[in-house]
Amino acid sequence: MGKLSGKKLIFLGERDGVPSPAMEACFAGSGAEVVFSATECFV
Amino acid sequence: MDLQNQQRVIDAAEKYGAENVVVLLGSSDAEGAGVYAETVTAGDPSFAGPLAGVSLGLPVYHVFDEAIKSEADPRVWEEQISMMEMVLDTAKLAASVANMRDQHSKSKL
Repeated sequence: MGKLSGKKLIFLGERDGVPSPAMEACFAGSGAEVVFSATECFV
Repeated sequence: MDLQNQQRVIDAAEKYGAENVVVLLGSSDAEGAGVYAETVTAGDPSFAGPLAGVSLGLPVYHVFDEAIKSEADPRVWEEQISMMEMVLDTAKLAASVANMRDQHSKSKL
C-alpha cells in the first residue's frame, strides 16, 4: 500500500507547470480519491 | 489562489477531515508554489479569499517532491510530466513547498 492510499487528493495544477489532468493520470492507481482538481493559469 | 478554489479546499477539508486530505501542487515557479502551500496551511497571505485567517494545516507537496513522485505511475509520469521535469527547477519547487509544510502543516504523509 502506498503513502497516498485512502487519502483524498486535491490537485492544484498550473497551465505553465504541471496541469491537474496530468497529475490525475499519474496517481489514478495510487489508491487515493480525487476530491477536487483545478488548473490555474497566470496571464 | 483563485477565490473559488480556496472555498473548494475548505469544503473538502470540512467534508473529509483535514488529516485525510493531501494537496498536490503543479506550480512552475518556487515563489508561487510557496504562496499556494502557505494558503492551504497557514491561510491566504493576501487576505483576499475565504482562507484568509484560516489555518487548515493541510499536508501539501509539490508533485516533484520525491516522496510524491515515487507514488506515481512511472509510465504515465514519463508520458505526461517528464518533459516539464526537465525544464523546471524541481528541487527548488519541492523545497519551497516543504518549507511551508514544515512550518504550518498539522500532518504529513
